[in-house]
Amino acid sequence: MNSTPTVFLIDDDQAIRDAVGLLLRANGLAVESFASADDFLASNAIRWPSCLLLDVRMPGMSGLDLQKHLQARNQRIPIIFITGHGDVPMAIRAMKAGAFDFVEKPFQAEILLNRIREALVFDAHERCRQAQRDEAAARMALLSPREREVLERVAIGQYNKVIAAELGISISTVEIHRKRVMEKLQAESLSDLIRLQALCDGDNPE
Amino acid sequence: MARLWFEGWRRCNSPALLSLLYIVASLLWLGADHLFFLIGLSNVLSSLPSLFKNSIGVMVSGGLLYGLLLAHARKARRARQMHEYVEDRLRGARDEMESRVQERTAELQTINQTLKRQIAARVQVEIALRDSEERFRQLAEHIREVFWVYGIVEERMIYISPAYEEIWGRSVANFHERPFDWLEAVHPDDRSRIQVAHVAKSQSGHLEEEYRIVRPDGAVRWIWDRGFPVRDETGHVYRIAGLAEDITARKLADDQLRRQQAELARTSRLSLAVELASNLAHELNQPLAAIVAYTQACLTLLRQGKTDPREITTTFEEVVNQSLRAGEIIRHLRELVRRHTTVQTVIDLNTVIHAVISYAQLELRQAKLDLKLELAEPLPRVLADDLQIQLVVLYLLRNAIEAMQETDGGPHQLAIQTALLNANVVLVTIRDTGHGFSGEIADRLFQPFFTTKPGGMGLGLSVSRSIIEAQGGQLWATPNPDRGVSFHFTLPTPVTVYPSYSSHELDSDRFSH
Repeated sequence: MNSTPTVFLIDDDQAIRDAVGLLLRANGLAVESFASADDFLASNAIRWPSCLLLDVRMPGMSGLDLQKHLQARNQRIPIIFITGHGDVPMAIRAMKAGAFDFVEKPFQAEILLNRIREALVFDAHERCRQAQRDEAAARMALLSPREREVLERVAIGQYNKVIAAELGISISTVEIHRKRVMEKLQAESLSDLIRLQALCDGDNPE
Repeated sequence: MARLWFEGWRRCNSPALLSLLYIVASLLWLGADHLFFLIGLSNVLSSLPSLFKNSIGVMVSGGLLYGLLLAHARKARRARQMHEYVEDRLRGARDEMESRVQERTAELQTINQTLKRQIAARVQVEIALRDSEERFRQLAEHIREVFWVYGIVEERMIYISPAYEEIWGRSVANFHERPFDWLEAVHPDDRSRIQVAHVAKSQSGHLEEEYRIVRPDGAVRWIWDRGFPVRDETGHVYRIAGLAEDITARKLADDQLRRQQAELARTSRLSLAVELASNLAHELNQPLAAIVAYTQACLTLLRQGKTDPREITTTFEEVVNQSLRAGEIIRHLRELVRRHTTVQTVIDLNTVIHAVISYAQLELRQAKLDLKLELAEPLPRVLADDLQIQLVVLYLLRNAIEAMQETDGGPHQLAIQTALLNANVVLVTIRDTGHGFSGEIADRLFQPFFTTKPGGMGLGLSVSRSIIEAQGGQLWATPNPDRGVSFHFTLPTPVTVYPSYSSHELDSDRFSH
């Protein structure tokens, strides 16, 4: 998995793709340009961390359509819209639909670069959290149903004695389960256990 | 008792019986005489002749008496019969009389009833008539329309309702002295037409005309006048009844509606221009964004010390290309503007200015400024596209309003001036008391995308100049000596500048207000 931050630039104007691509590359960003939303989707290029620099007005699938399309597929990627003059109402719609930001053409390089960097940091953070969630879920999957029951009770702070009584098992059995849970989840302490449990709970039950 | 006897007597009223009675009575009477004599026996024999003689006498006299009696009885009977006959006749006559009287009475009663009915009916009719007259009077005198009746034979108005005084502002009494009073009030522009209609009306009995009247106070009102023929029993039209209605309010509403529609049409044409400008702005943004990005990429590379001449050169070539692309878009716009001038007509600039002011009314009012029109009259017409000139005037007007709104203190005065610059050129000047501009700005004022307004695109003045120049005129600005700016534009009069234009194009004046 390539972890270099990438900017996906989608604009139907070849000059814009060329100029903005040059500007971003000169500023040390990896850029992949596409002439249309369809080209972008067909390339299956999405990888993280990344952000989308998207022209609102395009022939074929518009920027807003692509935004909807990605959302419908739960592909979360920060989108910075580029708008021409008079597209402000459209930009507002995009923002309401969850766009990261929008910039108006012609744009100051600094402003655009700052917004792109912010978007990439945001995405990296999001990806990191997502990776942690995925890892936690993977470890959690190793637990047996009984171990899961014990973990749930430990996480809410119940004593072994109470857990044993509730589950109808001996305290020593509870202690064995607990130890195995710690091993499987690679948790060092009780707080690690609780954090992992919270991460999984916060994740979407997909 | 006596009556019974009399009745019995009357019943045996045979004359013979009566005579016999008489004879018996006489004989009795005689016999008694002789009986007394015989009783005396002395002179019975001696008295025989006298007895005979007496008997004869008695018989003769009895016969006479009988005859008399008989005659009398006959006469009495005849008289009685006569009496009865007369009585009968009289009775008959009386009966007849009575029946006739009865008949006559019945007749009279019938007549009387008929008369009564007739009288009642007449009273009813009179009441109805009075009611209908009352109703007519109420109607005629209270409706807002003027009700009139014109006598064809009399050749004058016979009746005119009081509403006339209100609508025409002239007295009804005056009417009798001056039968054509109403016609005198008709607006001079409509009078001859109405006079013709009046003559035609006298023949056909029909009338339907709209015309203006001028009231004594000078107010003009619109009248809708309709007349209908009134015929006599023979079907001959002898009168015309009519209604004259004040339709001023409706007319004004119509006019307003028409104005609003015209305004809407103009606004939509203007919004079309706005749409065009918006598209153009988007078009121009593309090369501009590219130019900015290329240049800034170069700057970044240079700052990083990455001065690969090949890369820098290629990038700057792209900058040049994109600048040329922007220029191409501007040229396209100019072309578009120029192509629009093919609908050139002969127009009156004063009319154009009035039109623009009428639909910028709201903005002018809201701006609370002092608008001064200094329009030269008469002004020679110019050859131009009216819509485009309206756009330029409107743009300059708005520009001036905005310039003045940005300055707080001082008088807000807007003056629009038209003048004949020389024989072939008409000059329009729009002068404001706004913030004005510095000498540095003056040079760039007409450059595309130069703007001092936050929301402006910087195209208005450059497009306006293109429009004016495309029509053979010039547009420029001068600072006022005290404050503000004057924008001037010129347009040529058709004859000398466009000598090749055919005459029908010059005649067709599609600009009318």
